[in-house]
Amino acid sequence: MTASLTVNIRERVQQIETMPAIPAVFVPLLKLLSGSAEDAKVDDVVRLVSYDNTVAAQCLRVAASPLFGMAQPPKSIKSAVISLGLRRVETILLTCCMGQAFPATKWVLDPAVFWKHSLGCALVCRKFSEKLAAADQEKAYMAGLLHDIGFMVNCLVFPKEFAAAMERACRDEIPLGEAEHTTMGFTHCETGQALAEKWMLSDDVIDVIAHHHAVEQSQKAQPLVALVHLSDLLCRMRGLGYGYYERHKVDLVSDPAWAILLQQHRDLDGVDLVRFTFELDEAVEEIQALVATVFGSTPARS
Amino acid sequence: MTIVTQPAVAPPAVNKGDVLDPVYRQIRDLVYKVSGIYKAEDKLYLLADGCGRRMKQLGARTPRDYWDQLTAQPSRDGELRQLLNEITIGETCLFRSQPQLDALRKVILPEIVGEKVKQTTKRLRIWSAGCSTGEESYTLAMNMLEEKDRLLQGWTVEILATDLNDRSVETAKAGIYGDYAVRNTTEYYKRKYFVTIDDKKLQVRPEVKKLITFSRLNLQDDSKMLFMKGMDLIFCCNVLIYFDGVSKSKVINHFFSNLNFGGYFFLGTSESLMKLNEQFHLVHFPGTIAYWKPSLKSGKL
Repeated sequence: MTASLTVNIRERVQQIETMPAIPAVFVPLLKLLSGSAEDAKVDDVVRLVSYDNTVAAQCLRVAASPLFGMAQPPKSIKSAVISLGLRRVETILLTCCMGQAFPATKWVLDPAVFWKHSLGCALVCRKFSEKLAAADQEKAYMAGLLHDIGFMVNCLVFPKEFAAAMERACRDEIPLGEAEHTTMGFTHCETGQALAEKWMLSDDVIDVIAHHHAVEQSQKAQPLVALVHLSDLLCRMRGLGYGYYERHKVDLVSDPAWAILLQQHRDLDGVDLVRFTFELDEAVEEIQALVATVFGSTPARS
Repeated sequence: MTIVTQPAVAPPAVNKGDVLDPVYRQIRDLVYKVSGIYKAEDKLYLLADGCGRRMKQLGARTPRDYWDQLTAQPSRDGELRQLLNEITIGETCLFRSQPQLDALRKVILPEIVGEKVKQTTKRLRIWSAGCSTGEESYTLAMNMLEEKDRLLQGWTVEILATDLNDRSVETAKAGIYGDYAVRNTTEYYKRKYFVTIDDKKLQVRPEVKKLITFSRLNLQDDSKMLFMKGMDLIFCCNVLIYFDGVSKSKVINHFFSNLNFGGYFFLGTSESLMKLNEQFHLVHFPGTIAYWKPSLKSGKL
């Protein structure tokens, strides 16, 4: 991509008036999440949530989802924090914030399908990192949730161009990023990066958004980028893709991202990928339910 | 190898949505460890139902009692085999796994055809190992016929279908199926590749049969296995569960050496090889997995 195109994308994303405002709690919440667990205080989180009733109510509903492990909805954010742990509650809040920022509407890319993929990837990232002793599970979740945010930018800022890319992807059954590159000359990675910079997200999340399809080019958080790349591929192979058939063979262990992740996490070698895949299938229905709770619609299984 | 193709007559004792004893998750993990078969959470009731039938036979009162029988000597090995029999009943039908067929036609065939394009003989060899009563073999044959004017124009397709059980092989050769076996078969395929006989039954047309050679073969017969070389695709669904670890490993090694470079090995939808062969590459396609013997030019062997 040329430098002038990069500038053009940045400018268009910066100037866009219709970009939904992110809930006020979003940025401070990300700051809490990017710090170490000890720095975050229960009261800070509870205070943040009390700013936004809608987010708080949604958070309580989501906490009761099987994916987050509470049998009954908690009565208050504070009791949720106590039962689930601070990091988990922050993750739930972040999920709800994204639902507020990009509510379901008629876009080129069905938002329900988009969120199913993003939430699926977030959960796979977390499950993957659970198996790797040194990985930060909640950071992995956040990176998975936000990695494809550029698609939403494309829906809002470049709707015509993106519609052509989507059509090409469906027709040729190729990855959406590849179709974007062919038809638009840039991809969701660049537009996502521009939005992430506008939102002042942390450097490692920006790195994930910009390089999850080119892990080797990542410079700041390569193992995290590799983790998101692999989780994204796995989701697309297990019914959590973008709603169309991708003619794609994925050999995760031979992917360069696997070697990069293995350098940082030797225990990756012990992960039973087949069982991991079967377990992911179990989570699909729960992800559908979570999308319905957070984003208010039930997508069809792709 | 014979897999019973009719559904259990008795209604299930456990239904989808029932709250299950946590012991069933322990049994699920044991079954996975021993056989590589994984019953996902939404299919766990099928495992519980199979356990229920075994418990009735054995007179075990609770899932915990049954767990003891599954894990304690001397009953352990025999009982696990019985349970595996129970939980694989009725899994066979035509067009059993659409994601497998999509991967085959949309990704694998173009790849193999592309790799072999420079060879003088355009020949594709497929082996349905443990073909039971022929459902899988005919499904593959029909899908290959669909490609004969497109990807496979000018190609010869050979499907070898083998089973240990003589009666299964005879049934397979006849190619006559009832409603249950064709429950996933679309009207398009029924009209194009079957003729109706005896009111309700369907028989596979001769042009489909022509592609397949059915024969009896014991997968544990090493001398015979050595003659099955040159395969591009091997399907062996719900068969290896009947083998112990050592024989399973041996059979899988045979499959690996019988495959051409760049060939693929498919198991049943809930089966896996686990760590029994480190040379195969696990590959994902949309909705399905397979094992790949890398091509020489891929440099991944």
